[in-house]
Amino acid sequence: MTDYIEIQDLSVTFDAKGRKVKAVEGVSLCVDKHKSYGLVGESGSGKSTILRAICGLAPITGGTIKIGGEALPSPRGKSFSARVQMVFQDPYASLHPRHTIDRTLSEPLMIHGIGDTDSRVMKALDDVGLPKSFRFRYPHQLSGGQRQRVAIARALMLQPEILLLDEPTSALDASVQAEVLNLLTRLREERGLTFLMVSHDLAVIDHICDDILVMQHGRAVEELSREDLASARISTVYARSLFDASADRLLG
Amino acid sequence: MTRMTQWLTDPNPTSRHQARIGQVWLAWIRLRRNPLAITGLTIILILFAMAAFAPLFATQDPTTQDLTQRLLPPGTRGHWLGTDDFGRDIWSRIVHGARITLYIVALVALTAPALGLLIGTVAGYFGGLVDTTLMRITDIFLAFPRLILALALVAVLGPGIFNAVLAIALTAWPPYARVARAETLTVRSSDYIAAVRLQGAGSARIIWGHVMPMCLPSVIIRVTLDMAGVILIAAGLGFLGLGAQPPLPEWGLMISSGRKFLFEQWWVATMPGLAIFIVSLGFNLLGDGLRDVLDPRSAAR
Amino acid sequence: MSLLEVENLRVTFSTETGPVEAVRGVSFQLGRERLGIVGESGSGKTMTGRAVLRLIRPPGKIQTDRMIFDGQDLSKASERDMRALRGRRIAMVMQDPKYSLNPVMRVGDQLTEGLRQRDRLGAAEARKKALAALEAVQIRDPERVMDAYPHELSGGMGQRVMIAMMLIPEPDLLIADEPTSALDVTVQAEVLSILDGLVRERGMGLIFISHDLRLVARFCDRVLVMYKGRVVEELVARDLMAAQHPYTRGLLNCLPRIGGSRAPLPGLDRTGTWAND
Repeated sequence: MTDYIEIQDLSVTFDAKGRKVKAVEGVSLCVDKHKSYGLVGESGSGKSTILRAICGLAPITGGTIKIGGEALPSPRGKSFSARVQMVFQDPYASLHPRHTIDRTLSEPLMIHGIGDTDSRVMKALDDVGLPKSFRFRYPHQLSGGQRQRVAIARALMLQPEILLLDEPTSALDASVQAEVLNLLTRLREERGLTFLMVSHDLAVIDHICDDILVMQHGRAVEELSREDLASARISTVYARSLFDASADRLLG
Repeated sequence: MTRMTQWLTDPNPTSRHQARIGQVWLAWIRLRRNPLAITGLTIILILFAMAAFAPLFATQDPTTQDLTQRLLPPGTRGHWLGTDDFGRDIWSRIVHGARITLYIVALVALTAPALGLLIGTVAGYFGGLVDTTLMRITDIFLAFPRLILALALVAVLGPGIFNAVLAIALTAWPPYARVARAETLTVRSSDYIAAVRLQGAGSARIIWGHVMPMCLPSVIIRVTLDMAGVILIAAGLGFLGLGAQPPLPEWGLMISSGRKFLFEQWWVATMPGLAIFIVSLGFNLLGDGLRDVLDPRSAAR
Repeated sequence: MSLLEVENLRVTFSTETGPVEAVRGVSFQLGRERLGIVGESGSGKTMTGRAVLRLIRPPGKIQTDRMIFDGQDLSKASERDMRALRGRRIAMVMQDPKYSLNPVMRVGDQLTEGLRQRDRLGAAEARKKALAALEAVQIRDPERVMDAYPHELSGGMGQRVMIAMMLIPEPDLLIADEPTSALDVTVQAEVLSILDGLVRERGMGLIFISHDLRLVARFCDRVLVMYKGRVVEELVARDLMAAQHPYTRGLLNCLPRIGGSRAPLPGLDRTGTWAND
């Protein structure tokens, strides 16, 4: 029993004004515990939709998702929240503009009836490398990188086992991206988290993930290990074209 | 003073309290730069002062009749705005009328937006059947002209200030529901709502704690802009004899009673009319200024 | 003879907390070549591009010693002269085509609008020119695109339409502000090669503003690296990977690489004297 996240033949179909739009079609993947799995593809490839489907934010029309061998309840419920959390792409849109950082971080504790709010919020700020004096700031008083740190801290408040990362660094500057990637790597090691990460940047995915699934038009194209990518062992045309377009991100 | 401002503008507030007050302070600074909004605010503050200290401002008792002094023109000694057909001092009646006007405005401002906000956010957040049902009810209310609907309600409930307020509140909420729903639809699909939903928050918590704060500014702006209309409808009901009852010094009622002498003794109807005009203008100016301060699209950056 | 000469350009915004300098004394020259401007957000690269067109809205203010475009001093030109220059001789492509195209107007009408009003061309002739422009940016069925509304186009298609629109008046200088950031990598390559072709064939000058160092290194001739409103380093694009300035080096080093080590990425050291003046 090593498969921790197990997605079988997943399909997601949106109903857009009477027209059926297939965002994900028959995708299967498995992630082991404490591993990091990457989904890579261009816009419209359905990679983010898979994360949203896991969270119950997108309608699943076929296939199953299991975590730790159990099928997910619907609606997801509080025990799911305590287990799986998500970090969104745009740090400017994922924090409530009229809530202080303190409120944003203490909200999950209130929902789950966990006490000891003060010390937990302080510790969370500390864990993501934010000064304690930021506690009562509003999001508009923070930079993009600082906001993303808050979003990561919020996702970790309930001490989940799985973190879903939806392009967590693509809205950030290169130097800030490096800091956030380092933070994610460190937190994963410290807490034994399992990552499922989405990105369009092969280099970012390669830096964080052990296994990679290349997606196109809602379908899985090719599954690659990190070693395959480093040695350019790629068999499908599409994955190869993606790799070639990222040639300037290669080592050396 | 400087230590006070330092505390208010501290980029690293040390408590929830300080953070919130600091935000209000910033809004005030932005508002202060708009002279028209400050004019509006001043008018409304004067109205408040007049209502609170009416006996001090008023030169006479507003209901004491003196038939020897009837229909004196403005500028008469002791009656600088003149007297009405029962010889009551118009200035004193306007001052005491401010209390009634404020009472109506405050009650409507508390009830109608709250109802509209609740209905709008619930409809917008849940969507589907809930949305359709609630919004069709809203449409029905919107389809009637407000004054006519208020008239019908007062006719059923019986005349009087409280019933007039109730009628106005029951007819005033649909626009707020509309505004709140529109705002909710844009907020509903945002990442921060998805994030809190992912943390296991229930619908009530999301609507109350996350959606409503985003709808509140546009509703508040709408309320201040609507206040002029509320005062006018209250005056209209008073004018038609369905709001405040004589001898209460309600402004609309005063205009109504002055109607008979409009051509010979113009001041009887004109003075309360001017009062309504000035207060309505005050609310409108303030509303316009608040729009610049509170609207997240124009401010915040 | 250079096409554009900018000397000591400053852009200042007056805010509640006093004036903020977004661009602090930037000077550069541009011939008929591809000049890249790179930097992080807030480095002033976008403001530099906009200042050339004098498209800074109050409370922003532009000050410059000299800003000469093809013999004409832009800093002294009247607003009317600037309007004549904008679009016709100096064009600008923005990051997201979604916000630059009018959503309720067909693409064809937007493309021919300028031709018909400015150049007083007939409907048929304007359409012919617009079709040719769409073909120039390698749109396969220009007829269909002409009749489409912007929301019916994909991101890459929209960006190509934007470029086509900017190129119809045959400008001498194109300012492209992150023209490919909203696009997928494979589409990105196509848009770049279109821009590249246009610079070569028409002898146009190009200012390419981007946050992506590697992209700029590959695509441009010369690169200005900006930090906090100043140019910290100017180099030939080929040598970018061998840059000397600690900021440029830091920017390069903090990028993850395929097949690179899992060790923490080096952060950008902002403690040097260059970072604080």
